[in-house]
Amino acid sequence: MTDARAAERFREIVLPHLADALALAKWLTGSAHDAEDVVQEACIRALKAIDSYQGRGARAWLLSIVRNTCFTWLAKNRPDSANDQAEFEDAEADQPSPEAALIEKAERAAIEAAIQSLPRPFIEVLVLRDINEMSYKEIASMLSIPIGTVMSRLARARALLADDLRRSLR
Amino acid sequence: MTRNDKLLLHALADRELDAAAALSLEERIAAEPDLAAEYARILALKGAVKRTDKPVPSQQFTARIAALATPEAPPRPRIMNWQALAASLLVTAFLSSTATYYLASGGGNAIEQTIADSHRRSLLAASPTDIASSDRHTVRPWFEAKLGLSPPTIDLAEAGFPLVGGRVEVIGGKPEPVLVYRRRQHLITLAAIPLAPGEANTPAHTKVVEGYNMVQWDQSGFGYWAVSDLDAPELKTFVDDLRSK
Repeated sequence: MTDARAAERFREIVLPHLADALALAKWLTGSAHDAEDVVQEACIRALKAIDSYQGRGARAWLLSIVRNTCFTWLAKNRPDSANDQAEFEDAEADQPSPEAALIEKAERAAIEAAIQSLPRPFIEVLVLRDINEMSYKEIASMLSIPIGTVMSRLARARALLADDLRRSLR
Repeated sequence: MTRNDKLLLHALADRELDAAAALSLEERIAAEPDLAAEYARILALKGAVKRTDKPVPSQQFTARIAALATPEAPPRPRIMNWQALAASLLVTAFLSSTATYYLASGGGNAIEQTIADSHRRSLLAASPTDIASSDRHTVRPWFEAKLGLSPPTIDLAEAGFPLVGGRVEVIGGKPEPVLVYRRRQHLITLAAIPLAPGEANTPAHTKVVEGYNMVQWDQSGFGYWAVSDLDAPELKTFVDDLRSK
């Protein structure tokens, strides 16, 4: 591929999805400012790897690069936060969840704090699904996990979020 | 409620169920209050997450990313027409971010440079204005609400320069009103910076800054800068029409 063609492809593939890339990076790094640095770094990687792009699922392709870049960035800049992968599957919350009406009244700041307090594997499914509006199938292929795992993680993420909001609403 | 029921409720809320599965689950939700409460909670949570701010990539950020793919700057044409821009919007995005630093020549002072950049923003942005209206009675109150003042918003549609709208731009560290006019497919960016009492800019003059023609004059308490990729005589016509109103 010529440089000019690669450059053109890069812009077609990458530029339309910058908002989604920033959203994912913001929630994974916990900072809108760091998100820009991470996404820029990810775009440099994407440009280098543009030949490997298969022509389908541009957004998922870019977001998976952003995600990897986030994890590299976190390992370097937040080395103490790496314990997230441990023990997050599936224990049920013992407290009853708050009612829908209560959740609807939650302040935006409380919601953002609650999302940010989730373990990262839950943050990412939540952001990919509810903010970036990707399908279960897209998320499963992007994260290389079965659809069943996407579903249980998402259910668990929302249960934890409800639990967190219940505490902050009390 | 089984664990499977829960997952299916999430899938229904996420519109991931096919019609048959959705139908039978909806019938169960109607009949079983605990399912209904859980479903309402899931919808509320989805709504809560959606209410958070989603970052919007800034103009500068998008330009910076677009620039990654273009290692060398082609020489920028001195005058760009709108079609060429539309065809190569992204090349131009590159120019706006990189060429500004390398090609910042043409003898403009800092204010003029900023206003030339502002014109480039007119050309680049998906919408050249924050308030898109050809109705001067819409644009003026918008400026007054944003800045507490507004320059005269004169419509020159009859003279062939329809008003496109207005936006606020930071010039010399302060938010200032900018009007955008159109001439055929070309845009004219008109910055109007209020003058302090007794303040005056250099006498009215025309120059070329960053490849754009620029006319500066003071009038009725505002310092005006008109900048465009129009050729100098047409830009002068615009300025003359504006000044005579």
